[in-house]
Amino acid sequence: MFVHAADDEATTLDPAQVEPGEGGETIITQVYERLIEVGPDGPDLVPGIASEVPSIDNGLISEDGLTFTFPIREGIVFHDGTDLTAEDVKYSWDRAMTMDLPDGNAGLLGDIVAETTVVDDLTFEVTLQQPSAAFLNAVVTSSVASIVSQDAVEANGGVAAGEVNEFLTANPVGTGAYQLDAWNRGENFQLGVFEDYWGTPANIDVRIDIAPDTDTRILGLRAGEYDMMEIDPSLVPDLEGAEGVEIYQGGFLLEPIHIGFNTRFEEGSLPPEDTIGPEFFQDPRIRRAFNLTFDYQGFIDGALGGLGGGVPHYFPQGMLAYSEDYPVYEQNLEEAQALFEEAGVWDEGFTVSIIAEEGNLFEVASLVLADSMSQLNPAFQIRVLAQAESQFDEAHASDPIPYALWAKNADPFADPDALMNAYIHPDGEWGTVHGMRDMYQDPDAVAALIEEAGTELDTDARLGLYADLAPMLYDDPMWIIAGNETALNAHRDHVTGFVMNPLWPRPGVKFAFYDK
Amino acid sequence: MQIRDYLIRRLMVLPILLIGVSIIVFALTRVGGSPIGIYMSHEMTPEEVEELEDRYGLNDPLPVQYFAWAGGVLRGDLGWSGVAVAPVTQVFRGKLAATMELATAAGLVAVTLGITLGTFAGSRRDRLPDHLTRVFSVSGSSMPDFWFAIVLLIVFWVYLGWFPVGRSDPAIWASIAHPTGLYTIDSLMAGSWQAFRDAIWHLVLPAITLGLATTAIITRMMRSSLVEELNEDYVDAARAKGLPERLVLKRHARRNALIPTMTVIGLSFGFLLQGTVVVEIIYQWPGLGRWLADAVLRGDQATIMAYVLFTSVLFLTVNLAVDIIYAYLDRRVVLGS
Repeated sequence: MFVHAADDEATTLDPAQVEPGEGGETIITQVYERLIEVGPDGPDLVPGIASEVPSIDNGLISEDGLTFTFPIREGIVFHDGTDLTAEDVKYSWDRAMTMDLPDGNAGLLGDIVAETTVVDDLTFEVTLQQPSAAFLNAVVTSSVASIVSQDAVEANGGVAAGEVNEFLTANPVGTGAYQLDAWNRGENFQLGVFEDYWGTPANIDVRIDIAPDTDTRILGLRAGEYDMMEIDPSLVPDLEGAEGVEIYQGGFLLEPIHIGFNTRFEEGSLPPEDTIGPEFFQDPRIRRAFNLTFDYQGFIDGALGGLGGGVPHYFPQGMLAYSEDYPVYEQNLEEAQALFEEAGVWDEGFTVSIIAEEGNLFEVASLVLADSMSQLNPAFQIRVLAQAESQFDEAHASDPIPYALWAKNADPFADPDALMNAYIHPDGEWGTVHGMRDMYQDPDAVAALIEEAGTELDTDARLGLYADLAPMLYDDPMWIIAGNETALNAHRDHVTGFVMNPLWPRPGVKFAFYDK
Repeated sequence: MQIRDYLIRRLMVLPILLIGVSIIVFALTRVGGSPIGIYMSHEMTPEEVEELEDRYGLNDPLPVQYFAWAGGVLRGDLGWSGVAVAPVTQVFRGKLAATMELATAAGLVAVTLGITLGTFAGSRRDRLPDHLTRVFSVSGSSMPDFWFAIVLLIVFWVYLGWFPVGRSDPAIWASIAHPTGLYTIDSLMAGSWQAFRDAIWHLVLPAITLGLATTAIITRMMRSSLVEELNEDYVDAARAKGLPERLVLKRHARRNALIPTMTVIGLSFGFLLQGTVVVEIIYQWPGLGRWLADAVLRGDQATIMAYVLFTSVLFLTVNLAVDIIYAYLDRRVVLGS
């Protein structure tokens, strides 16, 4: 038995209901499969349920970039013993889009898919609303695109718009190398090797223990009770040098820790101590000055224990379109002072509140910002309001957000287009919430470049567009990117076959590769 | 007033008290934020939040929401636990059994050790054993349980490998039926020595941790009561008539010293229940305390309300029972006065 210690319980195991980054994704990744998968080495795509990765070269993507054809492998069976056909694939995608649960991620499919078609038992075809360079990387490989058993769903509640299927919430029926043997809520998940798996079978049964206390997880790994645990930089000193424990460091997570500037709030709706109005962060000089004031090195060396790095706006390392040539902000207090003076806020100063979840790196990033600002000018006051997770989520999902600053990490998108649309596009998800159209000096130019890059199927041409975008985002930043964590994992030294890929849902592991 | 009349009167008042408690519980949890918090994420758009609020009826006026919840409670439906991903009523029984088993084991540790050590120290007043016991009781009641738990884990789990964390070995747990949810009882009912041993093995560290502070309190109480009793005239009389010291202690002084100690033991059960929160988190014990802590942190209001309602009912019932028992035992107590 391979034992993994997790810090978080799942809230659902239904691919149509799970949110990116939620505990249920860990299980969904192991028990379900997608048409294509992100391989173990970097961002390369590998066949999954589909026997080939579509491309224009192999003729599985139409010339206009709108139609994707997926040849389905023969002989795949679900955990309930039924055969997988193209009908199941269509059913799975249509199901997620029909349910369209607010707590799920169905919009990822619904926003881009125009039509799903069963060509024959072993051929599935998708027509898009518009060409999308990110479709394969960001949509087809996502949890919401996992293939469920049509027979199992229909026998247990079927599909209804806007309604949760309670059976699938706790009883996954997929085709993955593992099947769920038991879910003892609050205690553990037990995953058994699926004997009829079509590919290379998994080596060892897995138990995922829910151990919310960090000290208990650390002691359990040291005691050899656990074989593996997810760690962040703050835990490395507790495990470094421990007998029988190996710490893996590889690349970076795709979840930079960032601080968002919000300008879309009503005058007077911020906490009473705050002295700024919506126009404050609409001034690009102030946003640049904030970026130049933040103590990046202090945050990376201190909070991240040196296990991290800076990130260009907004292309994290490891993602297509990342380039070392893109400018990255560093602390420059003289330049920051000049910008604050130019903006006319140096003498008067300001007070502004920032919210973050308590007890984690986001709170630390907020404290670093507060400290950096007050060191630059004691009249610059940042009030750090550390909140419980549910309180933070409630404030964060409000419209408008009643705070001008908040700290969190980005979602781990597999393709830059998804990231650009979520965090950078003036009319995108956060663009709308923060009022970025009133913040950018030239919002139309930013929008045009993002949209063009999103539909450009030629990779070189696409990278050229992002290269044009990167300096614009540096000059007109919508975020402070505090840093990016190194991808870390701690496991016993008897674990073999270890691979980790931050592009896989957290904790970035697939147990089917492992043995001990 | 007759006990029967008093009982009828108290039982008639009980529903009113429960309605009052339920209103307070409902209002207080709402002060802490919207129940939608646990279902929300930062990825959600305002429209999606609105849709969720509609799904759970949270756009209705608060009185309507209260009656919907209270109606559910009367039907035995305490809502959906977002933390446990299951109906509250379905989860509650198993969690309650786990907590009761732990609290009972901790109580047994505390009572057995406390009375033994208290007697030992009290009968050897101002000698070395007494001093050592007093050091133990002071340090036991002042040591934070989270710290003590970690120390025990380091010694007995990491270095010695004697005792595990969690409630059971999953494979052994799955090998027997669980009609009561109490692992020790279920294992005995199943006649499985292996399961019983597993249950006890998993109970040792959390029960010692949880029971430590109570052990210290009982020890001190027992010691001081015994010291007082040993100074009483009837003890001198017993000694004067030639009764051996062992019998003086056992038959006379200790029996009387136990009376005030029993009051402390009765009160300590609530104390043990409070302590389960920290102990269950550290030892991965799947009980009510850990569930409540998760629920509070993640804003799972259905769980919080169910827990508070349960403890309110428990305390109201226990208070009633205690009043009646007092009146039964001591006829000088006038009920309802």
